[in-house]
Amino acid sequence: MRNFLHLLNSRLSKSILTLGIIFWNSYALAKDVGKGYFDDAPLSLSPELSKSPMYTLVGITDWGKEILHVYGITTIIALIVFLCVSIPILYVLFRFRATGEEQELPKQVKGNYILEIIWTVIPLILLSLIAVPTWQSIFRQDKAVKANLQDKNALRIEVVGYQWWWKFVYTDFGVITANELILPENTPVVFSITSADVIHSFYIPRFGGKLDAIPGKVNKLTYVTPALKSNSGPEGDYYMGQCMELCGLSHALMRFQAVIRSQEAFQDFIKSHNQPPVVTTASEKRGEEVFNLCIACHTIAGTPSANLPSEKIGPDLSNFGDRKTLAAVTRKNNMANLKAWLKNPLRFKPGSLMPDLQLTDQQIDDVSAYIQFSTAKNKD
Amino acid sequence: MHPTEVVHHHKQTNTGVDDRKLGMWILIISECFLFGTLITNFLIHKKSVKPGTPGGIDVFDIEITTWSTFVLLMSSVAMVLALQACKNRALRPFQFWTFLVALGGLIFLGFQYYEFSHFLHNDFGFTTNLFASSFFLLTGCHGLHVLVGTLWLSTIGITSLIRGDRWFSPVSVEIAGLYWHFVDVVWIVIFTVVYLYIYL
Amino acid sequence: MATYLPKTGILSWLTTVDHKKIGILYGASAFFFLIFGGIEALLMRTQLILPNLELISAQTYNGLVTMHGTTMIFLFLMPLISAFFNFMIPLMIGAPDVAYPRMNALSFWVFLFGGLLLNYSFIAGQVPQVGWFAYANLTSKTYTPDHSVDFWILGIQIVGLASLISSINFFVTILNMRCKGMSLLKMPIFIWASMITQVLLFLSLPVITIALVMITADRTFGTGFFDPGLGGSVVMWQHLFWIFGHPEVYILILPAMGIVSEIIPVFSRKPLFGYPVMVYSVTAIGFLGFAVWAHHMFTTGLGPWASTFFSLATMMISVPTGMKIFNWISTLWGGQIRFTTAHLFAISFVAMFTIGGLSGIMHASPPIDYHQHDTYFVVAHFHYVLYGGAVMGLFGGIYYWFPKFFGRLLSERLGRWQFWLYMIGFNLTFFPMHFLGLQGMPRRNFTYAPDQGWEFWNIVSSIGAYITAVGALLFAFNVIYSLLRGQKSGPDPWDGRTLEWSLESPPPEYNFAAAPHVNQVDDWWHQKYVDGKKVSPPYQPTQPDSPPHLPNPSFWPLVLAIGVTLLATGFFFSTTGIYISGFGALVIIIAAYGWSYETP
Repeated sequence: MRNFLHLLNSRLSKSILTLGIIFWNSYALAKDVGKGYFDDAPLSLSPELSKSPMYTLVGITDWGKEILHVYGITTIIALIVFLCVSIPILYVLFRFRATGEEQELPKQVKGNYILEIIWTVIPLILLSLIAVPTWQSIFRQDKAVKANLQDKNALRIEVVGYQWWWKFVYTDFGVITANELILPENTPVVFSITSADVIHSFYIPRFGGKLDAIPGKVNKLTYVTPALKSNSGPEGDYYMGQCMELCGLSHALMRFQAVIRSQEAFQDFIKSHNQPPVVTTASEKRGEEVFNLCIACHTIAGTPSANLPSEKIGPDLSNFGDRKTLAAVTRKNNMANLKAWLKNPLRFKPGSLMPDLQLTDQQIDDVSAYIQFSTAKNKD
Repeated sequence: MHPTEVVHHHKQTNTGVDDRKLGMWILIISECFLFGTLITNFLIHKKSVKPGTPGGIDVFDIEITTWSTFVLLMSSVAMVLALQACKNRALRPFQFWTFLVALGGLIFLGFQYYEFSHFLHNDFGFTTNLFASSFFLLTGCHGLHVLVGTLWLSTIGITSLIRGDRWFSPVSVEIAGLYWHFVDVVWIVIFTVVYLYIYL
Repeated sequence: MATYLPKTGILSWLTTVDHKKIGILYGASAFFFLIFGGIEALLMRTQLILPNLELISAQTYNGLVTMHGTTMIFLFLMPLISAFFNFMIPLMIGAPDVAYPRMNALSFWVFLFGGLLLNYSFIAGQVPQVGWFAYANLTSKTYTPDHSVDFWILGIQIVGLASLISSINFFVTILNMRCKGMSLLKMPIFIWASMITQVLLFLSLPVITIALVMITADRTFGTGFFDPGLGGSVVMWQHLFWIFGHPEVYILILPAMGIVSEIIPVFSRKPLFGYPVMVYSVTAIGFLGFAVWAHHMFTTGLGPWASTFFSLATMMISVPTGMKIFNWISTLWGGQIRFTTAHLFAISFVAMFTIGGLSGIMHASPPIDYHQHDTYFVVAHFHYVLYGGAVMGLFGGIYYWFPKFFGRLLSERLGRWQFWLYMIGFNLTFFPMHFLGLQGMPRRNFTYAPDQGWEFWNIVSSIGAYITAVGALLFAFNVIYSLLRGQKSGPDPWDGRTLEWSLESPPPEYNFAAAPHVNQVDDWWHQKYVDGKKVSPPYQPTQPDSPPHLPNPSFWPLVLAIGVTLLATGFFFSTTGIYISGFGALVIIIAAYGWSYETP
């Protein structure tokens, strides 16, 4: 109990500090109206909240910063208005309490047109302060989409939402992957976002706002990917994303990751992705056979599974061995989790279309080895 | 107390409009939004004809629909005359015009039944394509309104037959009339938007 | 014809057409459904208290999300508001009853059966799991093959019908049945708010009606209005839903604003500051409420022009709203403020609603909304508006008018306890949700991973929810205790300003023994205070001069409502359904004729 109180105490103090910092940051952002953008440094100072991988107040792309700019101005204005309302309320409540001994009625004021006009006009002015940057940023994003669609250097990626995972198609390279979105640093990207079944929503908070993945409609989103962090390893930087629109039973389990890599690493990924898997051990060999049960829904590039004409309803597994996670970024990718998933997919993800194939333990071991090790492109 | 006395019980209202009449006006405003939604939906799906399925231009028989439109319009005229007769306490003309209105509605429904079965015969059904779905939703909803109106006016007519001279309630007739005219006006919009517009 | 029906006992309640009894029925059913909605909320908060908890399955959780939202809006707030409309509108405008007493009863029974049908989904084990907004195409036969969505669709359709009937009724009542001298600009502000609410209702309900018919057709007959595979558009549903859904939000908040505007002057002993401006602002909010629906849809990719338009229109709403807030503060300013429970709730409405309004302005800006949409920030926002706002305001109304309803005061001591439990519990539950939203926590997630850093504020939030639950239990106890043992209130316990306080508590069945006549806003106050000096209040006489003309009780509304429910029930059965629906239609027709030919 004491520990808990201690925790509460320290967290609470940190949170109050966080609030202060958010407000300070908003002020810092608003100060900069029309002068360019802050980088993420001041916002990421917030000690507690920003630890969350989905923290929304860190924009590290051009679009993300643009949004934060409007965000900051709006927050400041909202706070000013809040003070303008709460201070008079508190004052009134303390100043004008009834004592019970009043002999006279208070002054019966029925209204004051001048005052009322004032508090109509001032909000209008404050609103225009929000409205103009809002309006500008909407149209800037619209222009950026049009420009980047024409840009030869831009990367075009088709994002398709499925119940409950994400497909990423690199249209210019014929590369398809799932749930881990690998991006080169400092490159303009245009996402064409749509859905294969119900409405989903594509959101990587640190890169900017969300946009819905709607069946029968393509939404376009663009930004320049951030640079690699100074301390990032060979695998690059990971950024959390998640589906934000209620899309059925396992909506909460529809996560994904964006991975920022260097230009070279990205080119390696593109080149190696469609190479056939390298089968070495006997177990992997047996697993390759077992995988034939999976090819109606799953593809591994360079194998017969890639030659089926039908639309695959399961995630592409071509580079599965390189992925850090499985089941739409809900579990760490290791043999134990993979076997557990194959054993009972619905335990991991209620309502998933992945059936329990009733594989024997031996088969599960083999196919896991095949999927896990043969497909790894970067592990040699 | 006899029912008629209550019906005639005249109450002073703030607006000077009878409560029930005002209510009918509000209902009509609300219905405007109902049909507005349906018509908007139809306009959105005006071109949603799957290849290989019939569209409006393939199945519509503008001549028949024009006739049924004419009948419905004329029934509105009869409605005016029925109300006039009721106000004048002219029993026989009142009954005549009221039943004529109901008959008009019945003929309209007959035309619609014929039209719908003709459409179905030509593989133009509720689920053929979105154009068809929107068409049937809109005209079907209107048809339902005509049906209600027809039942209503028949009821008024039959009541008048049974009670004879004792039953004159201009307000009741006026309310039914308001509803009937509204259903007519809606049909004119539908006729223009749905039937005439595709020939443009 | 139906004069043989009794005036007391259960049968009298089933056949009543008295607006006060129907109001009480509405209020009682609202709190009956609140038990469901509240337990649903507590279950959800318990599941989310720690990451990766498995107390509740994904299926159950999605069901709870849907039913909590639907219940709280359609089966708690709407009928509770309706209870106030029913009880207070005729009393405040000096009318003997509403314009159509039997329609009023019909509206209640239809609502009750709709609500029961919706909640029958729990017994049937097919709870709708698509959210209270039921976005297509998750609602299609493909993605929801069972009947769960049908319960939602038909439940909402029936409840919507009830609201449509009552909206026309109250609108006509207000326009036509005001007492002598009460011109539109002399009506109490609550009546203004009610009138605008009725307009919003009867203009927005037809849109959802058609949308529901379309989704029913999609599910039952296989049309493709919302099926992209057949050329339909899923965004279309969102448009139709929010064209109704956004005015619906104002339908919930405007009456609460009206109630607060009645309470604050009474307990400040000052007239409402800027009455005409308050009237215009209510009207402006109602009008603008129809031009902002797509701000719920910024992330669907509306295009730059539509986004800008809806964003600006949304921001405009804050102008009349801000005006109201400052006018309430000005009403308090210089007054003699009495901190009764009713007033505490009313003041907390102003404060909480301000916070909700300000977060609302934030996501009125599309770029910000791209971050906040579907995160807990939005959950925090609309709970501040609908819970901190509407519910707090309505609780104020209950404490304020309870003596008028039942002739006894609610215990102030328990009331204050409830208020503080609610304030603390509410803010503890929902303020942390702002932080969760900033941390990117998505709504409607049945669980979350421990790697997200969301635990702490979720714990705080859940604790807050339990505190509120204690407050709610206290309120239940207070109501029962006060009904039995509460202090007798007399006609005018608060030194009120409007006509209802000239009546004895509870008012007689015929309301006003002598037809009232008003000269100005808050006429009752001016009858009591002449030149700032209190005179003996001219209460209504206890006996009417002539026997009042009262509408007869009728069982046809009940029968008609049963017919409507049967008609809807048919949709659940594939082969026998047509007979059930047909029988329902027959019952409706019989009831309609019985209705027409009985003496009202």
